[in-house]
This record gives sequence, C-alpha cells and structure tokens, in this order.
Amino acid sequence: MATAKLKESVKQPWQGQLIRFTPYIAGGVILVILPAVMPSYIQGIWTRFVIFAIFAASYDLAYGHTGLLSLGHAAYFGAGGYTAALLMFHYGIDSLWVGIPLGILIAAAVAAAFGFIALRVSGMYFLLVTFALAQLLFSITWNVRWFNSPGMMGIAGLPRPNLGIPWFSWSPISLYYFVLVMFLISFFLIHRIMNSPFGYALRGIREDETRMRSVGYNTWLYKYIIFIITGAFAGLAGVLFVYYNRFISPTHIGITFSFLPMCMVIIGGSGTLLGPVIGAMVIIFAEYFASLFTPERWPLILGAIFVVAIMYARGGIAIHLSRLWKRMSYRYGSTKS
Amino acid sequence: METAVLTFFNGISYGMLLFLIASGMSIVMGLMGIVNLAHGALYMVGGYVGWTIAVQYDLNFGLAVFLGGCAGGLTGLILERGFLRRLYKQPNEQVLLTFGCIYILSNLCMWIWGPRRRLQFTGEFLSGLIHIGGIPFPMTRVFIIITGILVAIGLWWMQDRTRLGAMVRGGMDDKEMTMGLGINLERVSMLVFFLAAFIAGIGGVVGAQLLGVYNWLSTDILLLALVVVIVGGMGSVQGALLGGIVIGLIDTAFKTLLPQFSMFTIYLAMIIILMIRPSGLLGRRV
Repeated sequence: MATAKLKESVKQPWQGQLIRFTPYIAGGVILVILPAVMPSYIQGIWTRFVIFAIFAASYDLAYGHTGLLSLGHAAYFGAGGYTAALLMFHYGIDSLWVGIPLGILIAAAVAAAFGFIALRVSGMYFLLVTFALAQLLFSITWNVRWFNSPGMMGIAGLPRPNLGIPWFSWSPISLYYFVLVMFLISFFLIHRIMNSPFGYALRGIREDETRMRSVGYNTWLYKYIIFIITGAFAGLAGVLFVYYNRFISPTHIGITFSFLPMCMVIIGGSGTLLGPVIGAMVIIFAEYFASLFTPERWPLILGAIFVVAIMYARGGIAIHLSRLWKRMSYRYGSTKS
Repeated sequence: METAVLTFFNGISYGMLLFLIASGMSIVMGLMGIVNLAHGALYMVGGYVGWTIAVQYDLNFGLAVFLGGCAGGLTGLILERGFLRRLYKQPNEQVLLTFGCIYILSNLCMWIWGPRRRLQFTGEFLSGLIHIGGIPFPMTRVFIIITGILVAIGLWWMQDRTRLGAMVRGGMDDKEMTMGLGINLERVSMLVFFLAAFIAGIGGVVGAQLLGVYNWLSTDILLLALVVVIVGGMGSVQGALLGGIVIGLIDTAFKTLLPQFSMFTIYLAMIIILMIRPSGLLGRRV
C-alpha cells in the first residue's frame, strides 16, 4: 500500500512534487537560509521570533490542546529566565549546560506549585488564580533586592553563555542557529506529546471533561502534568531569552509577557502545531516595524490586532494557510498519471 | 489604642474601595459568565475623567464622581454592545477580548492624558479631618466608606428587592429557563454590564483620593479585584463586600505591623482561601 502510494507520487508531474514540498521548502528558507544572509540586527529579530515560537507553542499546549486558559504564563518564562540570570549574576556560573537544565527544572517546579493551587478550581476561577499567582512572582522580583542589579530594576549586563568549547565565541548567527536547534527539539517533543495517547486524552479533556472523567481518566492529573510540561517549555524559552537579551526585568514576568504568547496563539491558530510559530512570526515582526515608526502606540496596535483576530479570524492564520495548501495540492497535485 | 482604631478605620475604608472595584466585576461574572478583565481599565477611565473635571476644570467633586461613573459606564457599554455581544456563548473568547481591551484602553488613556502620574485629588468639602471621640479621621476616607455603603445598599436592594434583581438571579441560576419565561436576558445583561462599569467609574474617581491616577492602574486594580472576588466568592453583593473588607483589613494591618511582608499578604490570604474553600467565602458553587 505504502509503496503503491509512493510510486504514484513519483509518477506525478513536477508541479505536484513542488506543491507537496512547498511548506517544507518555505519553512527551511524562512528558518535556515534567510537569516544567514540578513544583517546581524535582523538576525537578532529572528532569534527573538524563534524564542517566542517556543514560548507560544508551550502556551498552546495548555490553551489550544487542553483548554486551560492561563493568564499568567510569563511566570514560568520568567522563572527560567531569572534562574539563568541569577546563576550568572550571583554565582558566576555561565555554563549553558547548567543554565538550561536548571532553568527548565525551576520553571517546571514553579509550574508544579502554581498548578497545584490553580487546578483546585476550574473554568473562570482558574484564569483568575493563574493571573494572581503570576503577579505574586512579579511583585517578588520587583521588591526583593536579590533579584535585581544594584540601583536598577532587573539584572543587566549579563554575559553570553559558555558553551564549554574553548575556541568558540558567539556571533548573532551562531546564537540564532543554537536557538533554532533548541526550537526544533522542542517542536519535535511537542509533536510527539500531541500524537501520543496522552495528547489525545488532553484533547478529549478540552472537548468534554466530564465525559473523560466518566470514561475513567483522572483528568486532574492529566491537566496537572501538562501544566508542568508547559511550564518547562516556557522555562526553556525564558533561559534562551536571557541568553539572547542579556537583560531581564520584572516586566518579563508581568502581564505584558503573559499577553504576548496568548496573542500569538490566537492569531496563528490555537490547537495546531504550526499556529503558534506563525503567530510568533507575525507579532515579533509587527513589533519590530511598529518600533521603527510608532513605538509608543505598539500596545494599541497589538490590542487591536488581537481584538480583530478574535472577532473575525477565529481559526487563525495557520488554518487558512493549510486550507490554501490543500486547495493548491488538489488543483496541481492530482493530475492524472 | 488610637493607632489600632485608625488602622481599623483605614482598613475598612480601603476595603470599601475594594468593594466598589470588585462588586461590578463579581456581578458580571455571575450573570454573564464573563471575566471582565478590562474592569480595571474602566476604573482607570473613570479616574482620568474625574481628574479632568475636578482638577483641570476645577468643578465640583461630586460632579466629577458622577461624570467619571458615566465615562466608565459608556466605555463599558461600547465594550458590551460592540464586542462581547457578538461572541455569545464563547466564554474563552470573551475573556481574551477583554484582555486585549486592557491594552487598547490603557494606551488610549496614555494618548489622551499622557504618561504623567496624577496625584491624589479631592473636593474642597472633603479636605480636612473630622474628630470623633478625640481621634482624627480624614474626610476623604469617610467619604469612601459612605460611598461604599450607599453602593452596597443600592446593589443589595436591587439584587434582592427588585424585579431586575430577580431577573438577574434567575439568569445566574438557569439562563435557558429565564429566557423561556419571556425575559429579555440580553437587555438585562446590557443593563447589568452598564451598571457594573458605572460603579467601576465611580470607584475610579472615589479611589483617586487614595491611589491617584496612573497608567498601569488598569492591571493593578484588576489584580485587587480578582483577589477580592476569589476571596469573597463571585456572583453576589455580599461576597464582594465581605471579600473587600477582609482583604482591606488584612492588607492595611500588615502594612502597619509588618511592612516588609505586606506585598505577599493578599496573595497568601487568597491561597489559603482557595485551599479551604475554592468557591470563596460566600460564593456560589464553582
């Protein structure tokens, strides 16, 4: 069966092949080739985009796949970021091999603690509690001196991480490719999680939790586990963000950074694998262009994009793209052999 | 003794302010199932408009309170009529939409009034102290308590003694049945939403006596309102009142006694309540 299908596809004319691989080619060009030929400042924007793609994908695991509407996702992002930053700032440990695992671990631990409290309630209360808990973390980092460089809010002037290779030094493009590798690993892991029995159970919970419970699933445990997993991925994004940004402040835990992944997921398309990535791309590049023209109006633009996306484009961009691709492949791909 | 009385008094007045902030949100949550995250932004709009009336144009403070309330109410009405109504039966989308509105409203306010922080302001007749039993009480806080009590009585009367209140309670319990009885629940929702936004706007002007008006007020106030609603339980006036007073007293007491821990206390109270009674002190069941 499989070989027959393969043979059929081999027989197809070249347009069919082209259409078939268009998404992969486009993805490869956008993610791998295009940044390499850009000026180094733009490479920084690209790095930011890929970091936020991880962050948004982690949020989509909770919101899009499981239906957990959390309003405080930046807490785990910030927990990871602050772990990496504090390791460098207070202890002088700039090794990447310590920073990333520890950052993920701390973020997952924070998610475990917060999730334990927040998952006692469901629905509307859940989002209130996650929001309040994230603000708790925000006020801790805002008020406790240990979390800030002397004389300012946040930790500034952080070095680049140490990869452990003596002759290696970071350049914008090598940092980008490192982040890209991390992104691909996360993307693969999220893909595997979503296509496992565990992932199907999560979608079942999103659709009808009562039914899943009556079928015999311990839905609380499922939600708790996915909450911790999303915290871990957000923590990874936070660590990478600190390595890229070399500065972290309480703002990165606050409401602004909780809003960004939400916005990306809604615009890109929730509950899809590609949606958060596309959403991250749209938002980060829109942010960049807005910062060129009217930086002070950026929140207004962001809010307006978000509201329009919710009101009129609920499926998200990813849905429309995949529909377009399907239509194209029907039109050009299925010529008679 | 005097300190204790004053701390208690401050706590009550702060709690009354919290009640003003949280009551509207709580009722909207109970009736419409919408967590109106833009509630803090409505409060902020009220505060800015009140500042314009009372300070910039130097008019009567009472007028500022009324017009601030109207500004908040109208903004809320636009939000409900223009956006929320179109997302009927999509609670997640409604919540997300109000979250986006925080950004829009905050940035618009910054556009109109600028990023400068407005200091506390009050009316002429409210400046000064009032001495009761030899203890001086600031008039502004007395005014906040009186406003809070008036709003609480008004809301309670509306909730338990009027036809509108009966419709609201019916809508909270069983939406389909209420609509089946021929009640135009959409109009009731609109009215309640307007009322909630109106109270938020009033709260913005009254609260400006203590907190001033500034641009990130929208999220600060939102957080306070959420904590009060979580502690008190949503959907009832009594819950918001009890939650507000409890949080106000706890916060003020710790700010006086242990100032270094004061920023955690309201969260701690919230977490403890969630562990013991997830639906809040006086809440309907979740």
